[in-house]
Amino acid sequence: MRGARQVKTFGRIHLTASGFAALPLLIVAAVVAALFVFPWLVASPYLLHLMILLFLSVAMGESWNVIGGYCGQYSVGHAAYFGVGAYAALMLLQYKHIAPWWGVWVAIAAALIISLLIGTICFRLRGPYFVLASIAVAEIIRLVVLNWKQLTNGAEGILLVDIPPLMLGGRLVTDWLSKTPFYYLGLILALATLLVNYLVQHSKLGYYLQAIREDQDAAHSLGINLSFYKNVALAISALLTALSGVFYGLYIGFIDPASVLGVDLSVQMVLICIIGGIGTNFGPVVGALVLVPLSEALRANLLSKFLFSIGVVQETSRVGGFLKENLAHAHVLIYGILVVVVILFMPDGVLGFGKKLIARRARPLSATPTPLVGGLDGST
Amino acid sequence: MALLEIRHLFKFFGGLAANSDIVCSVESGMIMGLIGPNGSGKTTLFNCITGYYPPTKGEIIFKGQRINGLKPDRVCKLGMARTWQKVRPLAKLSVLENVMVGALARTGSLKVARRAALHQLELMRMENRANSLAGSLSIGERKKLEVARVLATQPELLLLDEVMGGLNPVESEEIIQLILDIKKRGLTQVVIEHDMKAIMRISDRVMVLNSGEKLAEGTPQQVVSNPDVVTAYLGSAHVA
Repeated sequence: MRGARQVKTFGRIHLTASGFAALPLLIVAAVVAALFVFPWLVASPYLLHLMILLFLSVAMGESWNVIGGYCGQYSVGHAAYFGVGAYAALMLLQYKHIAPWWGVWVAIAAALIISLLIGTICFRLRGPYFVLASIAVAEIIRLVVLNWKQLTNGAEGILLVDIPPLMLGGRLVTDWLSKTPFYYLGLILALATLLVNYLVQHSKLGYYLQAIREDQDAAHSLGINLSFYKNVALAISALLTALSGVFYGLYIGFIDPASVLGVDLSVQMVLICIIGGIGTNFGPVVGALVLVPLSEALRANLLSKFLFSIGVVQETSRVGGFLKENLAHAHVLIYGILVVVVILFMPDGVLGFGKKLIARRARPLSATPTPLVGGLDGST
Repeated sequence: MALLEIRHLFKFFGGLAANSDIVCSVESGMIMGLIGPNGSGKTTLFNCITGYYPPTKGEIIFKGQRINGLKPDRVCKLGMARTWQKVRPLAKLSVLENVMVGALARTGSLKVARRAALHQLELMRMENRANSLAGSLSIGERKKLEVARVLATQPELLLLDEVMGGLNPVESEEIIQLILDIKKRGLTQVVIEHDMKAIMRISDRVMVLNSGEKLAEGTPQQVVSNPDVVTAYLGSAHVA
């Protein structure tokens, strides 16, 4: 009797799981295929640049999501891994002429060592104290890089001269002169971070990280070694973040402590996840899709151009001049206000908000009221 | 040999002795009731045994091994599991996933853990709630989920901290049956409970704590007829 029932329950759960998985999988496959042919169809360097920024943001968000989203440890010091990765690869390239595909391993090793150091220090603390400690350690690293001028060139940063052409078996793969190789590199990086998140979520590690996020003491009592699993999550996260840092350094070609080690970069990684939907596979993708176009539009002053084009304000009028002059400068302010609005009204991020909307629309179709008390199973 | 032995255990918080010279031994297969007024040190004792607090002095021997100083996750792996007075559901995980987290203490495979968790939920008659979020459960279901989750870690000794607190009589009765059922499966249990009727019914032995000290220990009958216990619970005027 019991055996038969168990199989049935199993079947039901299995069916719903695979039924839900099939459609999104098709969509993902189609989107990925479209992204791979995109550079053949679109020649505009600006659009390619935007896409590369988008990939970078996705990779950064997904990297942070492992420790912040699944494990619930809100590190606001992830610029440390980003910057250390970027500096390791670019310094080796610039001063020792070691190609970045070798330097990237040093970058990974450096990030892992630093993550272990930071983890050992900061994971003794919980909640807001952990957040503060993570900021502090990242700031220490920024200050060291800023002041160790002989090694890092200090505040002047490193301006990359050029990247050696990538040869494979005597054939030229790319000479890095156009944006296309960076587009594909960025795409692969974004997909890889997404895949790592998927694998983490569907493993023992993912279950343990989520248990730690929900209740550390309960997790501890269920046989979960807290510091071990937190450090594993941080190491994975740091590794991916360092890869993003290397990619950024190679693509932009210039790094300095302010741009790759600043606390605003750390905050940006957190925001991508919070806006999109924290602790979900596709949350950071959605976050990047919202934030990258938004900041780009604000930076390019699209808002005032839009107001001029629909004729609300005359470009030549006094107000128009004021807007044209100042709205672009206020882009950080507007960006901040929008972020606050999203956080206030969509606590589960845009992705969670969308899911809730869909659920609300679907409910009238299958109107099964949930029982108020659970004891309807005829027990006792 | 006793499954759990506590030898002269002391726990101080600053100058306050939350546990003072506790001596007790729990034989395999029995249910030990642990009672006492609020603040008498019952939960502190649980926290010391399971590794959340290092004891100030004394020894805790589990399965012949000294376990003071071990972290809670090590204690769990050794075969001791505890529930919490204030339930701690992993709210954003489903009921099934909650129990799976417990089962994963003994396996690395999600498939095995899922099967074990489903089995555990069926024993609790909770399989119909498997896909609900743990945060959406009623208090009675949450208490049952706590028990299902720790049972999934395959313990030999179960420490239950007020699993009946806040339940209605029907739900309490269900938990009592559950505890007796767990006993039949050969597990040893230490049960903190305020409901005297329930504790008298299920316990083989009862230990009474008062102000951190052990006041009495014996069979339920011996304990209720002990004048010290009556004084501690009802005040001295009732002893006549």
